[in-house]
Amino acid sequence: MSNTSVAKKNPVGSFFSAVGNVFKDIGVIFVQGDWRTKISYLIMGFGQIMRGQFLRGGMYLSIEVLFIWFMTSFGSKYFSKLGTLGTIETYKKNRKTVYGDHSFLILLFGLLALFFIIFLLFCWYKNIKDNQKEELILKSGKKLPGSKADFLSLFDSNFDKTLLALPVTGVFAFTVLPIVFMICVAFTNYDATHQAPTKLFTWVGFENFKNMFSFGTGGFGRTFGGVLLWTLVWALLATFIDYFLGIAVAILINKKGIKFKKFWRTCLVMTIAVPQFVSLLYVSKLFDSAGIINGTLMKWGIIDSAIPFWTDPLLAKVTIVVVNIWIGIPYLMLMATGLLMNIPADLYESASIDGATPWQMFRHITMPYMLFVTGPYLLTSYTGNLNNFNVIYLLTGGAPKSMSYTGGAGATDLLVTWLYKMTINDTDYKMAAVIGIMVFIVTAVISLSVYRMLPSVKDEEGFQ
Amino acid sequence: MARESSMKRKRAVSNFFSYLLLIIIVIIWLFPFFGIVLGSFRSYNPAVEYGGIVDYVIPKHFSLDNYRFCLGDETNYKRWYMNTVTIAFFVSLLQTIVVLCVSYALSRMRFNGRTLLMKFWLILGMFPGFLTMICLYFLLKQVGLTQAGAVPGLILVSVASSGMGYYICKGYFDTIPKALDEAARIDGASRARVFFTMTIPMSKPIIIYQALVAFMAPWNDYVFASYMAFGHDKSYNVAVSMYRWMNTGDYQGYFTRFCAGGVLIAIPVTLLFMFLQKYYVEGVTGGAVKG
Amino acid sequence: MKKKLVSVLLAAAMSTSLLVGCGEEAAQTVQETAETVQETAQETTEAVQETAEAVQETAEEITDYGTGEIKIWVADAVVDFTNKQVADFIAANPQFAGYTVTVEAVGEGDAASNMITDVTAGADIYGFAQDQTARLVAAGALEEVAPENVDAIKSQNAAGAVVAATVGDTLYSYPMTADNGYFLYYDKSVVTDPSTLEGILEQCEAAGKNFYMDLTGWYQVAFFFGTGCTLTYDSDNDGNFTGCNVDYDSDKGLVALNEMIEVAGSKAFQPGSSAGDAVNYAAIIDGTWDASTVKDFLGDNYACAKLPTFTGSDGATYQMSGFNGCKLLGVKPQEDENKLAVCDALALYLTSKDVQLARYNEVGWGPSNLEAQADDAVKADEALSALSEQFAFTVPQGQYPGDYWTNAEALAGDVQNGLQGASEDDVKAALKDFQEKIAAAR
Repeated sequence: MSNTSVAKKNPVGSFFSAVGNVFKDIGVIFVQGDWRTKISYLIMGFGQIMRGQFLRGGMYLSIEVLFIWFMTSFGSKYFSKLGTLGTIETYKKNRKTVYGDHSFLILLFGLLALFFIIFLLFCWYKNIKDNQKEELILKSGKKLPGSKADFLSLFDSNFDKTLLALPVTGVFAFTVLPIVFMICVAFTNYDATHQAPTKLFTWVGFENFKNMFSFGTGGFGRTFGGVLLWTLVWALLATFIDYFLGIAVAILINKKGIKFKKFWRTCLVMTIAVPQFVSLLYVSKLFDSAGIINGTLMKWGIIDSAIPFWTDPLLAKVTIVVVNIWIGIPYLMLMATGLLMNIPADLYESASIDGATPWQMFRHITMPYMLFVTGPYLLTSYTGNLNNFNVIYLLTGGAPKSMSYTGGAGATDLLVTWLYKMTINDTDYKMAAVIGIMVFIVTAVISLSVYRMLPSVKDEEGFQ
Repeated sequence: MARESSMKRKRAVSNFFSYLLLIIIVIIWLFPFFGIVLGSFRSYNPAVEYGGIVDYVIPKHFSLDNYRFCLGDETNYKRWYMNTVTIAFFVSLLQTIVVLCVSYALSRMRFNGRTLLMKFWLILGMFPGFLTMICLYFLLKQVGLTQAGAVPGLILVSVASSGMGYYICKGYFDTIPKALDEAARIDGASRARVFFTMTIPMSKPIIIYQALVAFMAPWNDYVFASYMAFGHDKSYNVAVSMYRWMNTGDYQGYFTRFCAGGVLIAIPVTLLFMFLQKYYVEGVTGGAVKG
Repeated sequence: MKKKLVSVLLAAAMSTSLLVGCGEEAAQTVQETAETVQETAQETTEAVQETAEAVQETAEEITDYGTGEIKIWVADAVVDFTNKQVADFIAANPQFAGYTVTVEAVGEGDAASNMITDVTAGADIYGFAQDQTARLVAAGALEEVAPENVDAIKSQNAAGAVVAATVGDTLYSYPMTADNGYFLYYDKSVVTDPSTLEGILEQCEAAGKNFYMDLTGWYQVAFFFGTGCTLTYDSDNDGNFTGCNVDYDSDKGLVALNEMIEVAGSKAFQPGSSAGDAVNYAAIIDGTWDASTVKDFLGDNYACAKLPTFTGSDGATYQMSGFNGCKLLGVKPQEDENKLAVCDALALYLTSKDVQLARYNEVGWGPSNLEAQADDAVKADEALSALSEQFAFTVPQGQYPGDYWTNAEALAGDVQNGLQGASEDDVKAALKDFQEKIAAAR
């Protein structure tokens, strides 16, 4: 077995060989390059400008200038403290408070500075490769594209860069940075008793993860297991019950002989248009032990004492699933209506000539088609339900609570609502971050393993 | 003859049960809305009726007090409403633009790191959003976009990461034949020209779908919006302020006012939704298939 | 002399920064110079002021407090009232005229959690409920009360209110009300005798009406303290908890827990303590803040009383107890001593006797100031007098860690579910578990 084939099979090996190539490139280009290229190692864009590519060179140069300005004025003071997250304590001078290091901002802007450094290194390497390319073009006697051509290419061959520049930057600043930040928090002791700017927090390694999986008194292990189980079960129920009932309602409305189809659909669709924080809060009061449903049933003498819709752990779970049907069916109904029309009508015709009953047609034609086509939807819907904050939070807020759970979790809490309570009520950011990472792992494992099994995935590749 | 009539009867019976079922479903589905609308007409004035939660649905006296309260000067409701409209409008506009750009680039162009980017974004989407809330708060605070500046701050955050929600739109672009693009490019049109003069005009349904979905989301945002406003009353949106009416001890007996505020929100959103329902269905259906 | 020193320093600062600035970009240098100059000038002024103050006490009156902005967070109901009072305060104290004061509506709960999340963006002066004191101190969101005000506050306010404002042995905030307790509101036409819990429940059941009581941490002590149990926490001066004194896991505790289970098992029982959300009730255990809502609901049948007695599982009769607490006004730590002085003065004014009385007249909040409590109008208030009657049986609320409230809420959940109809042993086990958990809370 040769060395290259090992590298191909082993992702770690191929990564290192790629890194090795980059270093080799840097060295080789420096040795072989002309003086303009060599100066570009220090002053980015120098070579390009000297060769008349002002736009390109100017871009590189301004990136370097901006970087230096950012680091000297702002970044370096945070970046240098990233290892300790600050050492200067807050103190009092007479009655005046003098704040020390702000651990939170050190971590946040330290990471930001790290991002900038990686970005600069990437640009720097690009800049060198660019120089090499230009030299080669010039050597072969061709002309370099001018600034104008460079600019125009941004709307043609390089249009993707124009389109993606802002969105990608936005995602980096407002999604990637915060996520990396919170992953880091999981390895610190940032909580209510280490609150910036008054107190410092610092790195603690895997301490929080140990706590999450400890099963003793005060440990989160048991609660985590219980909440995780309910989260998985809930997502399964919420996805599939809604799915089948939604299709059933769509078929019912689409049935021959049913008039005012549009009216029925519109009535159901109201639930999508009215904001959930209004409708769900109302529904939660409806099922209250003294709410209208219990009150009316008691008035009619059907029940003797109130049904504990929200206070009994099992019943609360059932009620949430039922209310979620109310929310979910309209979406599914709309979707199924569109898809049902795509099923070739002659399939049904030939089946009915063969004497198939409606149920047989449903089982052997409708369902296989729907399951095939909506496979990806079911998966995203499942992962969406794992993180379905609104329904749980607005209906029960995680209640009923019990002493068998720690960390303020209740019987109907999902991992996300538990996480939310930890951030807002207890400002226990370190444990919230750990739970967040767990949510990610659960979602990712399920998505990736199920995604590979979907029948329609392979066909979809054809489009891309 | 006899068989035909029995078939007819059978169909009539089955239709009867279908209608019965539909009527029951519609009643269940609409009941909360009737409850909210009826509640909004119950006066909170103790001389007339009572503003808290009660165990009957139909108010004893019809009154517009709650609407007078919401639209009067006693609260900042009008201000909150305008904040929400502003956020919804700009988020809808900018988010649609961003999604169109990203979708076109990913659907039509092949560049280095394209699949890497798509995979990376897919993985990012699996992190729960609440986790990043406090971090975003401090980021925005640094540039003055919290508290008094919360409205532009919320718009910025909603738009900044919206590129990740390209799936449905890209799926739609994938169905537009590439041959059309190629033909135009052979005629000398640049990518940008193809995008603006061909792809966009052909994508009306998906543009409307994107804009509609983006417009509806801010009306429901209370968690993040309350974080950004950080106690600055004038920066609240309707969801934050009305959520307080229901969940803070300072506002006892605000239930009927909550209902009235809810109705006032529901009216524009529902109307818009009814008019554009066709496009919404198209988006949902397309999105389901594409995943 | 002062002027001279400033100008010398100014010149020095300018020349050094000019020298240094030569190599740098022009725009930045100019800005920096300006900042340096300003800072130097400020520091000098401060230094000069301090010496002046030390030498001549009389110079205090002409202290220049400078300018600034002060943000106040109070509950929505008192925003207008506070605005009016602040205006009066500034008018009476022209030396503070340089400060712009804004009042924003942030409820007590939100105010505390916001202050803890980001103290720098929070209000300078804010109202909060006393159970948050230790958390706020630990998070560095409360400044100690100015030493010159401490004795006056301690002597003028109800003892319970002072306890509430104190962490360790330091006074951290200004008592504003002393009505944070609960008692019984009832419907005269349904509940004829509000003196026993059993009687109330029986009459509510018979009439098909609800009895509302919250069983979470703040309210369940009505049972535990009623049977003679104790629960307190020790804390140091920084708001960190150091120890717990609890005897819930005892016969007395068992009687209390059994009673809670029995009450929760009644058909009339509904969990809850906010009148606005309560439906069809004939009795509710709630505080003065809901007085007007209850009055609206019950109309002419509105009545208040101290909490009832109950007959325990051991056959003895116990009076329900509870916490008495208060609302406080806190000042956050400041980076500018002048501003802190203004905030202190303003907070002191907003919690003074006259303002407390005016607040009672405007929104009905019961005063913590002893003289204000003795006022005739306050004494005649039905709800407040029921509360003060109840206060004879209650315990001043000290500081309790967050984990106590979380665990107590969990116990309340169990009382309504798992412990209903449970065996004596299970109840005992639950009580033991509860005590272990709250004793470990920090």
